[in-house]
Amino acid sequence: MTTVVGERVVRQDGRQKVTGAAYYTADMTVTGMAHGAFLYAPHARARILRLDVTAARALPGVYAVVTQVDAPPDRYGGFVKDRTVFACEEVRFAGEVVAAVAAQTPDIAALALEHIDVEYEPLDPIVDVEQALDGADLVHPDWEQYATGYPNIVRQGNDHGRMTTVRGDVASAFAVADLIVEERYVSDMAHAVPIEPHAIVAQWNGDQVTVWSSSQVPFLARAATAQILGIPESRVRIVVPYLGGGFGGKCDVHFEPHLAILARAARRPVRLVFSRREEFTAVDKTHGPMQIDIKTGVMRDGTIVAREGRLVIDAGAYAADGPYATEIGMMMFANGYRIENISIEAHSVYTNRTPSGSVRAPGGPQVCWAVEQHTDVLAARLGLDPVEFRRRNLVADGDVGPTGQVFEAPLALTCLERAIEESGYADALGPGEGVGVACAWWYTLPLASGAFVRINADGSGTIITGAQENGSGAVMALPMLAAEALGMSAEDFSIIYQDTETGPWDLGSAGSQTTCNNGRAVTEAALEVREQLLDLASDVLEIDAADLELSGGHVRPVGDPSRAVAIATLAQTAQGGRLLLGKGSGDVPAWTAHDASGCVGRLGYSVFPHPTFSCHVAKVRVDAETGVTQVLDYTAVHDVGHVLNPIGAEGQVDGGVVHGIGLALSEGTLHREGRQVNPNLLDYKLRTAADAPPIRIAFVGDGAPGVGPHGAKSLVSNRSLPRRPPSPTRSPRPLARVSMRCR
Amino acid sequence: MTVHRYFAPESEAELASLIGRHDDVVLVAGGTDRVVSTRRGQKPLAGTLISLDRVSGLRGLSVGDDGSLVVGALTTHADIEASPTVVDSWTALADGSALIGSPATRNTGTVAGNIMNASPAMDLGSPLLVHGAEVELRSSGGRRQVPFGELVVGPGKTTAQASEYAAAVHVPAPAPGTGSAYVRLQYRRAMEIAVVGAAALIVLDDGIVSEARVALTAVGPTCLDVREATDVLVGQALSADRLDAAAAAAEDVARPISDARADAEYRQALVGTIARRAITFAAERARGRAVPVPASEVKPITNGGGA
Repeated sequence: MTTVVGERVVRQDGRQKVTGAAYYTADMTVTGMAHGAFLYAPHARARILRLDVTAARALPGVYAVVTQVDAPPDRYGGFVKDRTVFACEEVRFAGEVVAAVAAQTPDIAALALEHIDVEYEPLDPIVDVEQALDGADLVHPDWEQYATGYPNIVRQGNDHGRMTTVRGDVASAFAVADLIVEERYVSDMAHAVPIEPHAIVAQWNGDQVTVWSSSQVPFLARAATAQILGIPESRVRIVVPYLGGGFGGKCDVHFEPHLAILARAARRPVRLVFSRREEFTAVDKTHGPMQIDIKTGVMRDGTIVAREGRLVIDAGAYAADGPYATEIGMMMFANGYRIENISIEAHSVYTNRTPSGSVRAPGGPQVCWAVEQHTDVLAARLGLDPVEFRRRNLVADGDVGPTGQVFEAPLALTCLERAIEESGYADALGPGEGVGVACAWWYTLPLASGAFVRINADGSGTIITGAQENGSGAVMALPMLAAEALGMSAEDFSIIYQDTETGPWDLGSAGSQTTCNNGRAVTEAALEVREQLLDLASDVLEIDAADLELSGGHVRPVGDPSRAVAIATLAQTAQGGRLLLGKGSGDVPAWTAHDASGCVGRLGYSVFPHPTFSCHVAKVRVDAETGVTQVLDYTAVHDVGHVLNPIGAEGQVDGGVVHGIGLALSEGTLHREGRQVNPNLLDYKLRTAADAPPIRIAFVGDGAPGVGPHGAKSLVSNRSLPRRPPSPTRSPRPLARVSMRCR
Repeated sequence: MTVHRYFAPESEAELASLIGRHDDVVLVAGGTDRVVSTRRGQKPLAGTLISLDRVSGLRGLSVGDDGSLVVGALTTHADIEASPTVVDSWTALADGSALIGSPATRNTGTVAGNIMNASPAMDLGSPLLVHGAEVELRSSGGRRQVPFGELVVGPGKTTAQASEYAAAVHVPAPAPGTGSAYVRLQYRRAMEIAVVGAAALIVLDDGIVSEARVALTAVGPTCLDVREATDVLVGQALSADRLDAAAAAAEDVARPISDARADAEYRQALVGTIARRAITFAAERARGRAVPVPASEVKPITNGGGA
């Protein structure tokens, strides 16, 4: 029985964000601060023949101009150490940072950029993934010398992450299949597009640097910055003021080292705020374009007996954290279906495009889209209803996943049935209308994380955590957990967060895991305080601690409010002696058992641990003459374990659905000679509020075992949107009929 | 280019004199187009920036003694969209205004800004063409009225002199039995730029089309007048056959390009469809039937019929 958890609690940062009172990195001003600007590569691929910053440095009001000459020479990178802080000898994507300036005003900084003398020898960009895999020039001719911290990673030419999933005997299974369907789906580049563009302020104090940064992962940014600068992590502090969304685009180290180097050269703090264009072109995080080949063998009754797949991801110029997207994409080939024989091969391919990486559910939506379209095709070819086909193939208790994980009471089917019921899937459709269903699975990552909880002398509480709030509400759920453990209310707690000098280590806002892992840490820290409070109260009340409970801001004998002692009173007592101070990390739950021994190149997602399932239904109307599609009504059903705060959970689904509709209907990146053609919000068509359909949300699975506090699991809205025409920015063809499928 | 001088005149006399004194002037009204283009590096600002928003007397809608509409240059799209007079009698103009940007854009963006930026995708262009509007240009030397089609001559190009500013738009009174509509193809319902647009004005006299004009948006360097559509529509009832002929005339006139928003091929394929919808909605309104503003939001007529 909970009193706070499960309630609709309004998040603490909501009012500031909605009213504009919240301060973001771009709002920061530090005394003596200079304005930074980057010079970007104008070509997708070119040799730098000359780079002379003399004239720029000589301009009045210019404090520093730095290039790779001024930066440490060692290469860095998440999976493959393939990049330098500034471009070195060659530029590999249009938008790569070549130089940085710090100046008295933004205008002078812009002028200084114009005075940097750089001569390029443009080379033919490598943008075709198949050619890149077979015979094209190497994007990184020296890749064999690049280090990697991942012994498993399989590199060959432009492929910097070949992986396989192998289970069963695909060839024999295809041989007995009644029907084999083989298709190719191609998705294009999509962007994270947080409303707040990247912003960084760097300030040195002696040999220590503080970087205020719009990061989703301050601790990872700290580690990389320290490594690049060659100083201990203890001398790098990353602070994130309010973060205006990230959607994965602010994962990884970004421009913290650049600004640290620039500020050191300028001998003063420097601030750099991205324009919207830079947010599209310079940020090395996109949903990389994917080529998805999928071949499935089925029996007449609809049973899937074999699946073969090939995933080629255009990973762009640098590996960054892209191989995660590749691996997650691989796992999505199974997508919650029972497939005894499966063989998937994946390639992460260097090209001269903006690097791909951890954009919202990296690798998930593209492959999910392909698999679900393919599923509909299979059903149609067998003459089966698409819902019935899914019903016959979704995993059930005891079924085995693509890398040997055994499902325990999975709720895949429950999600499907509930979505069908809630959505009115079977209702009659109007002219031009269509309805689609799609299923998805996801994971809950058990990771280390830490927090402190303290009770102040007036009985209020403070949570000090390393966790990062990117807008999803994950950190904002923490007070509910502390309050639940301590019989207090969520409003009693303030939160100190997203500052590497105050909170314990946390992965950051990545991997759909903050509430589960940091929630566990906060709960453990709060439970330590609870023991302290019970001890104190036991002395005061002269009652055994075991007979006491915490409720309504008091400690009292179980069920006896008449003898309650206020937590504030106990906190004052504590202030004179042993402080009320808890710390937590908790035992990291085990990863789901699996066997990836037959697989190659697996990195971190060789299993979808503690899986969650979802099912979405969309009703659309297609204008048959123009192809323009409108989503009329949407239903999303998710298994997320116990819902800690329905407002937060629903908000996460709402956002994911609208983002997914954007990917399906109107977002898309156009390229010319490797350069983005539409890096702006006029031509990169996000959905607007006016386009959002009514979204019906339901959660199932309360009471099922979850890996997080109070049985919570992860909630990623991995946007299993039923129908996805090619980006209309590239002109939808007038559709012959609603059921026409787009690949 | 860096802006060296900024002025915010409060009277037309002051404005005219300022324009005369500087030769590198950019006029800014609402700035909704200009600011975005400048930030994107498409249209750098000039050395002298003159803001129009404090100039008195340039905002507002009025109907003259002859029944014509006078729209002050600084009248916002929101003003037009909310005007029952415009919605009743110059409906295509209301359709166009109601589609521009978002509520914030429409509260800030002005008629003069939309016209003088001369974008081929401007949502007021085709409505102004079919309504036979003229733009009043003023300068310290006097004033003149130029038909819209003679003012905007290319992307970003007008025939206005450097010394002139747009002061008002004059739209003739509609004949009895007039209906007009503007429809655009859009991928989303706000913050959108026309992919293909069409306006139509239809006057019905006892079921017979007595006057007709059709114009196209975003399929040529300027909004295009489809003169032949007048010939094929006037003098007959609006049959499916006539609609087809008018749509074909529109297709003949269109000269679309490919850009980030659409391929030329797609635009060309949709010209007839969008023109047909505009004509159909205009005729509906001419018959006195209600078609909500903006007409683009109305569920498309997919049978292509003109009933």
